[in-house]
Amino acid sequence: MNRDEWYDLARDLDWTLSYVDEKQAFPDEWTGAGNIPPSAWPDWDEPFRASYREYVRVQREKDAGAYAVKEAFKRARGFDRLDVGHQAAAMLHMGAVAMVEQMAVHMEGRFARFAPSPRWRNIAVYGMLDEIRHAQLNLSFSHDLLKQAPQFDWAVKAFHTNEWGILAVRHFLDDTLLGSSCVDSAVVTNLTLEHGFTNMQFVAFAAAAMDAGDVSFSNILSSIQTDEARHAQQGFPTAAILARFDRKRAQDLLDASFWRSLRLFHLLTGPAMDYYTPLALRKHSFKEFMTEWIVHHHLRVLEDMGLMKPWYWDQFMLSLEHGHHAAQMATWFWRPTLWFNPCAGVSRAEREWLVEKYPGWEDSWGVLWDEIIRNLNAGNMGKTYPETLPGLCNLCQLPLGTALDRHHLRPYTTTYGPRLYHFCSEPCQWIFGLDPERYAGHMNIVDRFLAGQIQPMNLEGTLAWMGITQDVMGNDSFQYRWAKEYAR
Amino acid sequence: MAGPQLFPIYGRFVGDFVPHLVSALTSDTMPEIAEKVAVHSVGRRLPARWAGRYEVLLDGKVIPDQVTLGELVAERRLPPLSWFDVRWRE
Repeated sequence: MNRDEWYDLARDLDWTLSYVDEKQAFPDEWTGAGNIPPSAWPDWDEPFRASYREYVRVQREKDAGAYAVKEAFKRARGFDRLDVGHQAAAMLHMGAVAMVEQMAVHMEGRFARFAPSPRWRNIAVYGMLDEIRHAQLNLSFSHDLLKQAPQFDWAVKAFHTNEWGILAVRHFLDDTLLGSSCVDSAVVTNLTLEHGFTNMQFVAFAAAAMDAGDVSFSNILSSIQTDEARHAQQGFPTAAILARFDRKRAQDLLDASFWRSLRLFHLLTGPAMDYYTPLALRKHSFKEFMTEWIVHHHLRVLEDMGLMKPWYWDQFMLSLEHGHHAAQMATWFWRPTLWFNPCAGVSRAEREWLVEKYPGWEDSWGVLWDEIIRNLNAGNMGKTYPETLPGLCNLCQLPLGTALDRHHLRPYTTTYGPRLYHFCSEPCQWIFGLDPERYAGHMNIVDRFLAGQIQPMNLEGTLAWMGITQDVMGNDSFQYRWAKEYAR
Repeated sequence: MAGPQLFPIYGRFVGDFVPHLVSALTSDTMPEIAEKVAVHSVGRRLPARWAGRYEVLLDGKVIPDQVTLGELVAERRLPPLSWFDVRWRE
């Protein structure tokens, strides 16, 4: 028999339960079916139509290629010859992403067991195996580089620490990868985060890594991206069915996850693209990348589902001008709290590029960097370091002020129960309000500091609490050499 | 009578890009609050001004210098981490 003759029968394999009630085997809080009737799920379909035999053959070939390139790159000590900006981007990526892949194994495993359609459960098994492969590839790549750079230990360690950026990543991804129903996770993770954001990011990062000479990292990213493109497809039929039966829930999920994904991209992707990538290798700015790939894609998805643009669209477009510049300044200024050395990326030539891409950059950001540069050149190093914590958002966990710029900074607060909550933006405040019980009990780092959980209550105590050790503690990646040209 | 109590606030120096966690005391007057907020921004990311003086704003209104944080907290029932703005007095 050829595949088309047996495939639908095999993937639709299901049976009528007799020992337990359907609702006991597939509880609603796990499936997330909600208002969707059982009769809707036979419409759930995905286009890849993979069989297990084909899947294993293709994955074996992919792994053989990825590991061969990685081994050759390791033997040639290729990483040592890379620009330090690219090295920093690789360290950031591995620390922030390797364990996310491992968390995604759990999400796909949840689909494989509890998804309300046998077709979905079938392809989720491949998704689960994909994510195991991705975690292992990232860990293996990082393990190879441990002798050259202890920062790669953070590929495993980061998610077992309280480092602030990692807590921000976890706040969103613990929620959707580990703590949400199948329907919610598929819409939030597969459709919005994977297909909408990271799929494109991996394509762009793979190209940038290849240009920078990091053949191994590029190859791994490309190999992972081919899997993501397949298993991210779980999001489309799920969102389409949800939109048909519960339009508001679909719209809210997409709107909330789009903003939460954006905030992580402000933190992780924007600085890497616009500040860490060597100037000569930059092809697109973060804003251009987002506008061309992410915005276009998301609008098409919404149109296909018959849904509207997020209500905060104007704020989103404005945040593309500022959010990642704010995250760049925050990460560089609070650099001892990072597990890698960040690039400042504001030499004169880099500033010219930034102004060309973001005409308002000097007024929003350049004037702040000017004071930092004055202190660097005057030897006032103490003034280039923080002496306290920034205010933090009670939703995205990122510093207040990092969604926009200094001209748009204002408080967004909600009183819920006995306490006051602060938000970086109106969308974060709105997401909190969608399900306040889900978020109200979470303490951000400022809350924990004030509750006495961080001792001693100073910078040293905070760094120790975050798991930052001397061998990885962040410092300027170019040892401030870029600032010297301003002294002339 | 109880002495001064620690009272954490978020302080934003107008012109900077983030507010900061500031450990204030209920006995602090507004100039003292202003100094505690400004130290994290002025001379770090914003240039200092020769002989410049500050003023403190709550909900967009300037608070008189002689008022203490404790009085404000009691009068307006302010919760911890209330947001204060500090700016140059023109």
